Amino acid sequence: MSERSADTIDRIELDVNGTPSVVLAMGDPLAPPLVYFHGAGTFHGAEFAPAWAEEFRVLMPFHPGYGESGDYDDLQGVHDLVLHYTELFDQLGLVRDVNLVGLSLGGLLAARFAIAQQHRLRRLVLCCPAGLKVPEVPVDDLFTLKPEEVVGRLVHNFDTIAKHLPADPHDVDFTVDRYRETRTTALLFWEHPFDRVIPRWLGRVYIPSMVIWGDEDTLVPPALASHWGALLPNATVKTFADAGHLVLDESPDAVTTIAEFFS
Amino acid sequence: MSYADRAEFHYFHFFPYTGLPADAADKESLWVDYSNSNYDPKAGHVLYQRYLSEMLLADKLGFDGLVLNEHHNSQYTMNPAPNLTAAALIPQTTSRISVFGTPPNFEYPNRLAEEYAMLDVMSGGRLDVAFPLGTGMEYWANAVNPATARARFRESLDVILKCWTEDGPQSFAGDFYTYRYLNPWPKPIQQPHPPAYIVGAGSSETMELAAEYGFGYSVVFIPTSMQLKVFDHYRDRLVHHGHEVTDDKVTIGIFAYVAETDEKAEEEFMPHVMYFFETALRTTPRYLNPPGYVTVPEFRRRITSADVHGSADWDSLLEINRIVAGTPEKVADAIANWVEEAKTTRVNLNIALGDMPNWKVVKSTTLFAEEVIPRLRSRKVVPA
Repeated sequence: MSERSADTIDRIELDVNGTPSVVLAMGDPLAPPLVYFHGAGTFHGAEFAPAWAEEFRVLMPFHPGYGESGDYDDLQGVHDLVLHYTELFDQLGLVRDVNLVGLSLGGLLAARFAIAQQHRLRRLVLCCPAGLKVPEVPVDDLFTLKPEEVVGRLVHNFDTIAKHLPADPHDVDFTVDRYRETRTTALLFWEHPFDRVIPRWLGRVYIPSMVIWGDEDTLVPPALASHWGALLPNATVKTFADAGHLVLDESPDAVTTIAEFFS
Repeated sequence: MSYADRAEFHYFHFFPYTGLPADAADKESLWVDYSNSNYDPKAGHVLYQRYLSEMLLADKLGFDGLVLNEHHNSQYTMNPAPNLTAAALIPQTTSRISVFGTPPNFEYPNRLAEEYAMLDVMSGGRLDVAFPLGTGMEYWANAVNPATARARFRESLDVILKCWTEDGPQSFAGDFYTYRYLNPWPKPIQQPHPPAYIVGAGSSETMELAAEYGFGYSVVFIPTSMQLKVFDHYRDRLVHHGHEVTDDKVTIGIFAYVAETDEKAEEEFMPHVMYFFETALRTTPRYLNPPGYVTVPEFRRRITSADVHGSADWDSLLEINRIVAGTPEKVADAIANWVEEAKTTRVNLNIALGDMPNWKVVKSTTLFAEEVIPRLRSRKVVPA
């Protein structure tokens, strides 16, 4: 076998029950699997992934209706995505000992997937997951915020994200891509932005888990971290300084902590 | 026979809330999030009284119909529930009443079918209706998902047609609505149902829906030249779907003002037209296009074409809209031309517009009825 560079990206194309789905993969195919679920926008990529690919086979699927994957006809809620990923995991042979990490919307999805498919997972990391309603911790509605405001509140240091934005703020392709992804987010969350299942069922997830948050997250408040930690029976909670909502883009320490947790 | 001498004039009144505080000029949007603390119910009462009197005047002067619209969270119209206004007008009028209209997505469809049937029966069969999808702005104001709006809309239409055209009790099993006993009383007096229109903004999805259901079609907020192309396509699609093309299938909107001279008419009309486009319509692209409200290709088309909301200059407004201000002769000529090129006999006519005072509305409405309509109806058509 030839030596693979840790930052070589494989592009895997699947048909997941009618949804054309793309999975980006890095690292040794025989290494332990690490699956990453992205959030509601894909434009900032996953520059932190090569650090994980040193040790893991990193698999980064695009959710239906986001990035390079096709649309899921009749998408109605997160449960549809749980079933989508059950099938996708089967196609990739991800039947046990999977390390799963999700950010924001992807964190909520990872939690919902773990509730239903825990037997496939070894460890779980939720990074600033969305969707938990805690009356004493108000969360701004994503749809109500102006797009330019959302971009500003994704990060603590704007330079982190500036390089992923088009030079022209009215760039048509970029705007259309964001519209498509926001449309998918609306299909999932417009009517019910908070998840009904998590508070009732997350207690089933007994595998070692970690909740990660950026101290400077102004989009989904860090005050929610302890509430997620309390719902998960076997979780530790870690917060990281000088990092906003895109905690993995802003905190190399968070990226390393996850790699160590999965090792 | 020309279209002009058979043209029907339906008197459209938006019932605008006017008299906004001075700082409204600084607001990015006067829809959706413009605070209702700026609404004064006492001023609203005076405006309702006045606007109802203007509608009654149009009825007495012999306009063919009166037209009401519906919008939410906006100074643009004081008719978030136009069926209430229609019910107030019915016993005082003899012309047709158009409710153009309640977006079916914002009511349970059986209830909308009931309300329209009530108005049709109460008026003795004088009701016309339009089914709008609802602007993007309405989806920020109502608890309905914009990303599934089109699918829900289609299903709502199916429920309404079933209510109107089939004897109950029926059942209905859809994706959005399940009815076990669909059996509304009353049913409409007009058969098979009141004339129905779909109102669109030029998207091919909406036009195709109108053609498929055999409904009339009305289009707003896109340039006249583009409307004509959409109308031709719509008539082709009507035929394709096996429906008859009649002269009233397409409705065009005209803003007209009549005065003693062209100069006086323009001087009296222009400020209110500018108010309408710059103030009443002012909103943001984000409110116009909530997530999933249009398909991804249609969104691309929209962000790469002209925006009519909240910025305008007079010359370009005249170029892309049907706006005329002048003597009866000039107005009649312009309208004759517009109905011929659109091949339609149905005109929704706005005289009252924006912050126009009552005296101008009364003056222009009276001149239009007494000097413009007779001119159009007495025209001789020169055979081609």
